[in-house]
Amino acid sequence: MLRRPNHEHGHFWLKVFLAIICSTVVGLGFVSNSASANSAESASDLISATSDGEFFIIASVQNQVLVDDVPQRTPVAGAAITVTTLDGVVIGQAITGDDGLCKIAVPTRDNYLINIDPSTLPKDHNLIDANKAQVRVDQVLFTTNTKRVTFFTGDSGVAGSTELERILQRLSDGIRLGIIIAMCSVGLSLVIGTTGLTNFAHGEMVTFGALAAFFFNVNLNIPILICGPLVIILGGCFGLLINWGIFARVTKRGIGLNSQLVVSLGLSLMLINIYLFLFGGRTKQLTSFSKQVNIEIGPIGITPRDLTTAILGVLILLSVALSLQRSRLGKAIRAVSDNVQLASATGIDTQKVIRIVWFVGGALAATGGIFRGLDEQVSFSMGSDLIFLMFAAITLGGLGSAYGALVGGFFIGIFVEMSSLFFPSELKVAPALFILITVLIIRPQGIFGRSQRVG
Amino acid sequence: MDWVKIIENTIRASIGVDAIYFAIAALGLNIHFGYTGMLNFGQAAFMACGSYGLGMTAQYFGIGLWWGIPLGIVFVIILALLVGIPTLRLRADYLAIVTIATAEIVRLFVRSVKFNKVFGGTEGISNFSRQYRELSPLNPGKTYGFRPFSYTGYSLYTIVIGWVLVGVFSLFTWQLMRSPWGRVIKGIREDEDAVRSLGKNVYAYKMQALVIGGVIGMFAGMLLALDRGSVQPDNYSRMVTFYILTALVLGGLAKVAGSVVGAMLFWVLFVFSDNIMRELTRNGPLQIGGTTIIESNQVGAVNYMFVGIGLMLLIVFRPQGLFGNRQEMALDGR
Repeated sequence: MLRRPNHEHGHFWLKVFLAIICSTVVGLGFVSNSASANSAESASDLISATSDGEFFIIASVQNQVLVDDVPQRTPVAGAAITVTTLDGVVIGQAITGDDGLCKIAVPTRDNYLINIDPSTLPKDHNLIDANKAQVRVDQVLFTTNTKRVTFFTGDSGVAGSTELERILQRLSDGIRLGIIIAMCSVGLSLVIGTTGLTNFAHGEMVTFGALAAFFFNVNLNIPILICGPLVIILGGCFGLLINWGIFARVTKRGIGLNSQLVVSLGLSLMLINIYLFLFGGRTKQLTSFSKQVNIEIGPIGITPRDLTTAILGVLILLSVALSLQRSRLGKAIRAVSDNVQLASATGIDTQKVIRIVWFVGGALAATGGIFRGLDEQVSFSMGSDLIFLMFAAITLGGLGSAYGALVGGFFIGIFVEMSSLFFPSELKVAPALFILITVLIIRPQGIFGRSQRVG
Repeated sequence: MDWVKIIENTIRASIGVDAIYFAIAALGLNIHFGYTGMLNFGQAAFMACGSYGLGMTAQYFGIGLWWGIPLGIVFVIILALLVGIPTLRLRADYLAIVTIATAEIVRLFVRSVKFNKVFGGTEGISNFSRQYRELSPLNPGKTYGFRPFSYTGYSLYTIVIGWVLVGVFSLFTWQLMRSPWGRVIKGIREDEDAVRSLGKNVYAYKMQALVIGGVIGMFAGMLLALDRGSVQPDNYSRMVTFYILTALVLGGLAKVAGSVVGAMLFWVLFVFSDNIMRELTRNGPLQIGGTTIIESNQVGAVNYMFVGIGLMLLIVFRPQGLFGNRQEMALDGR
């Protein structure tokens, strides 16, 4: 059944891809419609207008909400601030204005205590750290005419939400991370399946998508919904280029798979430093839809942007799974992934399938990169920070299995986010290592792997 | 362009502390990579075991500095079991995946706020090396030697100790690989099944090799920590492993001299190109025909990019490096 000449492969595959891109455009259009007004600009530093000889303490009260680990701050008005000396003598009192700031004159540069009265905070606002209701200003640090002190209110992860709400919120975050990881892992797993290469540079293909989107979106000012599909195609071409320029040639030279693995490390090292060279070391934000207000679905807060990317992500993953399952090309890919010699004997043009796998893998990785860039921020190392989760995902699913990558990625994303209920968030990837090791001990071929010898 | 300075720096780099700790780490990695054919991409984690073993004696346990060595060995064994037990029975790339992941997790753990008290967080640990410094017969402030090899007493002390360690471990590796144990190890690289059919416990041999190479890597980490006088978590990022790997491949896999000369050569090339680019960008960005080619803060990235390109070219066009034997090129022995 796979013996037919394979011009149909490309044809169908083109249709699938156009479908993916169309759904991307439609979905991103939805984002742009539903994108609500930007939230209030964060309070700017308006410290000026102090003549010499006058000293001020500026207290700022900010409500901090973590949106995907990126703190978003809004000013809090109406909080009562008191400045006292160390002995408790009151120097001055003020109420924060709409900008969250208040200014209290003090006689000299000295040691002061700045107190916030938590009972004056608006409803639902609590200090993140209740012990920080009093801040001490030291004389030695009071170097200019003004000294700024900031109090943060907001969700400390404990106050104001029930256990169930936290779990549901994490679950929603986890699903979104899972979609991205699944999307990025498919190409990685398929390349392992079809060529045997463990490609450590795959994370850089994810970064490529995000950086290309950043270039079009921020530098050229093209809205993401127009440049998104273009970046996805570029991502695919990038995958093709890597295969054509490096791995196809290296394979032709008869260089073994483990050496190719080291080559991919070198490639990863090269690419990440090219990104660092071009983009710089700082994280930056895409301009489209960067500030959005949460919409509440029951207990879960999610921005329209995230909701759309999630839905879009599911659509893309479903279309990938469907085309792998149903289409001639998908069957050919799975056949090559299963057994290259047998597939080739059946009349499948394995080289062509490999090229297509690189294209689709690169395109999906770029898509994941764009989504991740919208979700979090764009940085030169964002892909290589994810590569480990991708490897955990495809090991769980079974190296070489595309379905495995989908399921494994989804599971790893949810597991990692859920585990941050118990782990500090800086260590939330650690449980993925636990999964990786457990899977290798119990079922090294992974969920979807064939139970053959892998050693 | 200050060529004298560039050449002096380059010559100094060939025997400097960076070359020494790369050489020691590469010797350890060579046992994994070159002799046994195990793709360990987490050598930085083994180095971190050593550094944190030393650092934690002061930071957490409050015991003498030299307890750091047994402590580090314990860490190495734990780490080796952690990555080895699940993967050493499997195909080689599984070890690669798990070691690269574990090394990253180890780094996240030691720099985390949660374990600040134990590992010192992102600041790392300092003030642990007094016992080591007091052993020095040299005046730490005085300058010894002649140009370009002039060092302060403290640097010279570390450099001498370092080269002694390089010598010891080179000799050790060389003898070890001539021993019956070493022949089994090389046999495993060539054909694991053949060795198994001779009744050898391949799994146990691989695990032993992982620990021995790890312990040697641990000493590299210790030397780095003692030289810097501090333990910094970000000195043990996965990139460090890649650079050491490049040095190792440059010198030649499965050759003792390859690790040492490779590390020296790596730093000579690295410092040379770094110095050249820094000189070019010293008076503002380098411009050719009005377009900016490179700015001074991009020098590091460009240089590491060269490392990546170099690693790829070496593997493709000269996998045996300088000294290696193409027949012994271990990576695809099986």
